[in-house]
Amino acid sequence: MTAPAGTVLGGELAARRRTLALWCLSLAAVTVLYTSFYPSVGGSKADALLANLPADVVTALGFDDLGTAAGYVSSTVFSLLGAVLTLVCTIGLGAGLVAGAEEDGTLELELAAPVSRSRVYLERLALLWLAAAALATTVVVVLGVLALALDLDLTPGRLAAAGLALALFGGALGTVALGLGAATGRRAVALAGGAALAVLGYVLAYVGPLVDGAGWVRHLSPYDWYIGAEPLATGVDERGGALLVALAVLAGALGLVVFRRRDLLAQR
Amino acid sequence: MDAAVRVRGLVKDYGRTRALHGLDLDVRRGEVLGLLGPNGAGKSTTLRVLLDLLRPTAGSVEVLGRSPQEGGAALRARIGYLPGELALPPRVTAGRHLGHLAALRGDGTAARVPALAERFGLDLRRPLGTLSKGNRQKVGIVQAFAPAPELLVLDEPTSGLDPLLQRELRLLVGEARDAGATVLLSSHALDEVEEVAGRVAMVRAGLVVDVDAVGALRARAGQHVRLEFAAPVDRAAFAGLPGVEEVVVEGAVLTCLLRGTPDALLRAAAPRTVVRWSAQDRELEELFLDLYRGRATPAGTPPAAAVGGPPAGVRP
Ligand SMILES: Nc1ncnc2c1ncn2[C@@H]1O[C@H](COP(=O)(O)OP(=O)(O)OP(=O)(O)O)[C@@H](O)[C@H]1O
Ligand SMILES: [Mg+2]
Repeated sequence: MTAPAGTVLGGELAARRRTLALWCLSLAAVTVLYTSFYPSVGGSKADALLANLPADVVTALGFDDLGTAAGYVSSTVFSLLGAVLTLVCTIGLGAGLVAGAEEDGTLELELAAPVSRSRVYLERLALLWLAAAALATTVVVVLGVLALALDLDLTPGRLAAAGLALALFGGALGTVALGLGAATGRRAVALAGGAALAVLGYVLAYVGPLVDGAGWVRHLSPYDWYIGAEPLATGVDERGGALLVALAVLAGALGLVVFRRRDLLAQR
Repeated sequence: MDAAVRVRGLVKDYGRTRALHGLDLDVRRGEVLGLLGPNGAGKSTTLRVLLDLLRPTAGSVEVLGRSPQEGGAALRARIGYLPGELALPPRVTAGRHLGHLAALRGDGTAARVPALAERFGLDLRRPLGTLSKGNRQKVGIVQAFAPAPELLVLDEPTSGLDPLLQRELRLLVGEARDAGATVLLSSHALDEVEEVAGRVAMVRAGLVVDVDAVGALRARAGQHVRLEFAAPVDRAAFAGLPGVEEVVVEGAVLTCLLRGTPDALLRAAAPRTVVRWSAQDRELEELFLDLYRGRATPAGTPPAAAVGGPPAGVRP
């Protein structure tokens, strides 16, 4: 007799729900802070300010288009702190869910219980994606309310597209961390791998285009897949989304295959 | 089919370190078997292989008739396991964690938790991080026994428990056996398992070096006896008595190693005036040393494991 589906997930959720709620709260706070500044610094004022800066610097900072509400929110919330907070949460969660629990030994009783290794892994992965979805939904809902309150030109469809991109981005990089952690049993490897991919992606997306003839490297960047097409201004980016999903499937499958085969709780 | 656990030639490597060197072990259905050995002998490694946490490097393993890997979750549903180094999530309460582990089992596990917790005096409302070592061990015991499994695998179950609770645990193991369960438990000390185990398998350096009934093992291990007489005694009166070895006499003090019953020794001492006496069970480690010297077996049957000598701890 084995437990109904979702039991592993439910246990993890119960243990982590407070931490996850705090992440959502801080993400909401950051979103409110940035966006409420738009009426005072956005629009034509920002355009005048940026006209004084070299074009390359503006590009490197991701401030190409602060003149519209979509451009402003995209450049601040989605490209910067919102993305950073989301990634810190999902990569940390991904590293902790399998590798962290294995390193501190709390995984042992669950692995000895009548649930398969696949379920132990996949239900934790599901929780990670639930968290990514919750974070993105928080941003979308907060922005939706602010758009009404401040009369910003952000349509629900575009907001949802940007939220979907954020969920895929956070979920995919969190999955990389979770998969690496499950494959190695080492939390540090999982954290380092997820963080390195995030930073590398950022560098490729923004610095690549500045180097002559190397513009194509940005297409290798998960960060570019996430926000290169500006979903808040242009709607769902199928290609970018598909690439993020592919990255997640690859990392998730790799982690699962190794996790099923190797010795558990034997890393020293 | 009467073997609950059948291990043949089990080899287990951790990277380049070989922990098990071809271990053989049989646990009969319905028996309590103590796995006894010093630190690093390979007890935990063996038990973790049975739970499919570790995969054998070589050799064959059958638990309740199935290989742990193929048996998978369905096989583990029939096993209760207490880890040697129990780690629990610090912020979750004991009750909630036990509830979660019971939910992973389904069946009537959750219903048996409260009575077990009460029996061991475990407060289910406390967060696990605030519990003492002994109280955390109680959580481990409750979760292992609550499923009422066919096979109990307990890695140093008494560690951290006070003598009263150690006794309670022995009772619990006895009840599980009476109810038909098989129990495999590990320990460092013979006296910890001898009350509850029928047989003992001794592990050293990754091999089972001896398996025997507890009583026979205890008799073989012997006791250090010290007799102090009122006047100097003659060594010749004691040397050569049945079951008496290593006789040393210094003036009025006699020390010897006693195996088997003390009857002959007492009769020889009785005509004299004994002013003090003591008898101490020998340490397990000494028994292992005996096994390597090929001494501790009944006359004529050299211990199988001693023939090849101690295995190397690390492969070249
Ligand atoms: N994860 C690991 N990596 C490398 N070596 C290990 C690992 N776990 C155990 N070992 C080694 O394998 C051998 C057997 O260890 P094991 O934990 O099975 O012993 P044990 O009999 O349970 O000891 P103890 O009584 O101290 O619990 C030891 O030499 C130990 O150092
Ligand atoms: Mg051990």
